[in-house]
Amino acid sequence: MKLLQPSSLDEPIPSNTVLLSGGTEVVPLIRDGLLEAETLVDVRGIVPRGIDGTRIGAGTTLGELEVDPDIPEALREACRLAASPQLRNMGSVGGNLLQATRCWYWRLKFPCRLHGGDVCHARRGEHREHAIFGNDFCASAHPSDVAAALIALRATMQTNRRELPVEELYRMPSEDDRDVTTLEPGELILELDVPRPEASTYLKAMDRQRWSFPLVGVAAARSGDERRLVLAGVAPIPWVLDSPDDLESATPLPGTAYKVEIARALVRRALEAVA
Amino acid sequence: MARLIRTEKEVEGRYEDVWLVVEEDALEQWPAGPGEIVGRPAQRVTGPLRARGEARYTADIRLPGMLQAAVLRSPHAYARVKKISLEPALAAPGVRAAIGPGEVEVLTDEPGFQGQAVAAVAADTYWQARAALELVEVDWGVREPLLDPDEAVRRGQLVGGPSRYERGDVDRALAEADVVVEAEYRTQTVLHNSMETHQSICEWQGDRLDVYISTQSIWGVRDEIAAALGLAPDKVRVVCEFMGGGFGSKNGANDHTFVAAELAKRTGRPVRCALTRREENLASGNRNATIQRLTAAAKSDGTLVALAGEFVNATGWSGWASSTDGPMQMLYDCENVRTTLYPAKINTPPMKAFRAPGFVEGTFGLECILDELAAKLELDPLEIRRLNYASSAADRPLSSKNLMECYRRAEPHWQRRDEVRARSEGPWQRGVGLASQVWYGGGGPPSYAWVRLGSDGHATVITALQDIGTGTATAMAQVAAEELSLPIDRVDVVLGDSARGPYAVTSAGSSTVPSMGPAVRSAAAEAARQVIEIAAQRYEQEERVLSLSDGQVVSSDGGSWPIEDVVGLLEDAQILGKGARGPNPAGMQVLTFGVQVAEVAVDVETGEIRVERVVAIHDVGRVINPLGASSQVEGGIIQGIGHTLSEDRLIDPQTGITLNQTLDAYKLPTIADVPEIVTELLDIPDEHLTNLGSKGLGEPPIVPTAAAIANAIRDATGADVRSLPISREEMLRALAEAREKEKREAPATV
Repeated sequence: MKLLQPSSLDEPIPSNTVLLSGGTEVVPLIRDGLLEAETLVDVRGIVPRGIDGTRIGAGTTLGELEVDPDIPEALREACRLAASPQLRNMGSVGGNLLQATRCWYWRLKFPCRLHGGDVCHARRGEHREHAIFGNDFCASAHPSDVAAALIALRATMQTNRRELPVEELYRMPSEDDRDVTTLEPGELILELDVPRPEASTYLKAMDRQRWSFPLVGVAAARSGDERRLVLAGVAPIPWVLDSPDDLESATPLPGTAYKVEIARALVRRALEAVA
Repeated sequence: MARLIRTEKEVEGRYEDVWLVVEEDALEQWPAGPGEIVGRPAQRVTGPLRARGEARYTADIRLPGMLQAAVLRSPHAYARVKKISLEPALAAPGVRAAIGPGEVEVLTDEPGFQGQAVAAVAADTYWQARAALELVEVDWGVREPLLDPDEAVRRGQLVGGPSRYERGDVDRALAEADVVVEAEYRTQTVLHNSMETHQSICEWQGDRLDVYISTQSIWGVRDEIAAALGLAPDKVRVVCEFMGGGFGSKNGANDHTFVAAELAKRTGRPVRCALTRREENLASGNRNATIQRLTAAAKSDGTLVALAGEFVNATGWSGWASSTDGPMQMLYDCENVRTTLYPAKINTPPMKAFRAPGFVEGTFGLECILDELAAKLELDPLEIRRLNYASSAADRPLSSKNLMECYRRAEPHWQRRDEVRARSEGPWQRGVGLASQVWYGGGGPPSYAWVRLGSDGHATVITALQDIGTGTATAMAQVAAEELSLPIDRVDVVLGDSARGPYAVTSAGSSTVPSMGPAVRSAAAEAARQVIEIAAQRYEQEERVLSLSDGQVVSSDGGSWPIEDVVGLLEDAQILGKGARGPNPAGMQVLTFGVQVAEVAVDVETGEIRVERVVAIHDVGRVINPLGASSQVEGGIIQGIGHTLSEDRLIDPQTGITLNQTLDAYKLPTIADVPEIVTELLDIPDEHLTNLGSKGLGEPPIVPTAAAIANAIRDATGADVRSLPISREEMLRALAEAREKEKREAPATV
């Protein structure tokens, strides 16, 4: 395996490479054979890192974001409640948005739909950590706390090819395309722009106090009368609620019905917090 | 004098009849209470070595020329190897040897659980060995796994016969009872997750085999390997100087050791075989899940009249029936008790002993149903336990029992109930619960120690014992220092090598301190006696006027001589004291007891549970090192909190594949989950037990934790949580059930 460490965006990135920043996700995936690459590209030399007003370099670590008082509460809290201090000191915000699901069937390489197969093993098997929305095709849950917070905050991102709302980074997997992001090969997240809301928060239910992916994460942000609610850990991608009533149209599996109850409580509390 | 006796020996609740050579234990116990060193807090003698990274664990050992092994484990829960070809692996870079089913007994062509060893290779590096495994060609015949323990019981598929116990007449007592409660409790499978995974390095020296292994039982491993390989036991040397945890999972040699021994033999090189975290969580044992169908019945005054239980242990593909039925038989004074225990054989990884195996699970069921019974009787949970106090074991007297004193000491903590409940606010409901503990922990013979006293006045305790991380070495140094009246920094402890010291006990069943401590004291006392004999002759004193105090030989007439001056007369020669563990008190049962009081807060909207405080009051005889003891208690409670709230080994119901093999998915408690822990040990020596009066403490602290927390949750919320772990899902389910029940039972309003 080769490692490239480019120092300029002008240097061409060869095809069939895997991009690497903090390595907290990519290295385990490679070791487990879930990602294959002959060449790794360490992007830390070309992706900006640091905070400048509302602009955040995609290479900024979660550890740096959680302690910056100018970062909106929802994002800071999403960072603070994610992973462990060791992981947050390595993991970048850009990489965090591209995390793969923690679905154990996917991680253990069951031939599931996300792997191109024709069955969702979680739907008929152990699925207590799985989705309550959009789970018909694939019941995986998106693990990123940070993504939910950024979407609630109406953040946008700049890649080496385009500018887009963070929300549009994600797509539901389908029969034709099993990918959960819209990122093209060779496309690289460079920078985020995070508008300042009047109020925001992130609430998270976990199996233990720390170092746990969200069973349910609720990000809420308010600017003027406009409120925005986004959930983590409840669907194959971060899930935007148009209103709290959307929870009544959840489609939980037998083992995930409890998540709806948790989401109801956290959504109510989050709305109170940003009121 | 050596005496040969036929006696019952207990390890982790299992009894066997054995011949034992025991030596009389002539020393009087020290007076109760702290001595100069024993009974006072001592920092770990190995602490600086560990902190500096100088302690050599098995995982640190690299021998010259050492090869690394990797094991091919069955990816299927139940399968047959129709064909296997090792040739491609043998041809891979760096590979020196490969072995398949039947070439060592632990390699099978009919795996009965995911993770069972099938083949292995040794290569120059670990990654070469792993890569070579990928090349092994296996034609699998996959079979339908049986995963439901109840179904296994129906089919009679058990790892051992069902065990039945009955005293009195349960059916009649049930018919005559005023109140009867029936409930089903479930406990999940949890994994030991020792920080140091199972591992061994095997090196042949001619026909002798050196085994470096992370183990709780260097002698057990020696005997197991010798028997399997047809060697004289002393041809096998087993070394374990430092160890990163075992919790019951490291009592045997296990597949990796036999793989390493065979590959070392074939290659003529030392071979290391170390499990990865994933292998550890598949193939190194677990605390098996249980189903407990329980009945408790009482008279209206709270007197227990009947206890009955049907216990199903989801034992796995092999293993033994841990005593889930034990607490029900032992904890209370109840005339009519009936238990049946089925160890179900299913296609899941085999159980191994795990810190009070069976009793942790059984105490959860028993102590929860007792609280449900108390609620029906409108009795205080502490009161119902006092009312039904068992002053002796069912069939024999106890060497000591101070559980009533534990209850008395629990009162101030129990009385915080009103104040704790009053702190409930918003969705956070608070409550207090308690649970009692019974377990073994008396240790026993044989166990031997030597104490060498050199001319520099330093003592060395030598025994082929392992310190599994519990602080055994420190406790042994304290015992020897006390007897020799030397400061603890003048006592070294050499252990961990079967070729360098006398036989010592397995570190299992809370038996290390109660077995080894008396032997060490006895050895130190013999050394002390020799010092006095020498001093008496050198300084022309009568022996009876001499004693040891503060590093000196002192005479009642006021004379005193430093010990190093006395021993210094010997120059390079040394004093050697030998000691043996005496017998346990004949005809008596030795048990440990305790009670824990837990305070919890429950968010009734999200199912979040926070354990805020646990008070642990245990009666384990004399306490050698209060500091080490409190850390044992804290460790037990933290492990118990994981068992109660977050840990859960998950199996795919169709394939039998373990879904959470890694530590991100299998959720041990983190430091943020640890509550305030208050440890109170009675420190009352057991007057019948050995020259120390000490019992073991490794296991008791984890026994009552789950039940105490579950009872606190019931106190806080009115919800009956009967299934571990009490996840958010289980908590919310129990809350919904409690709301339904309240609705049904509420008087109809017109």
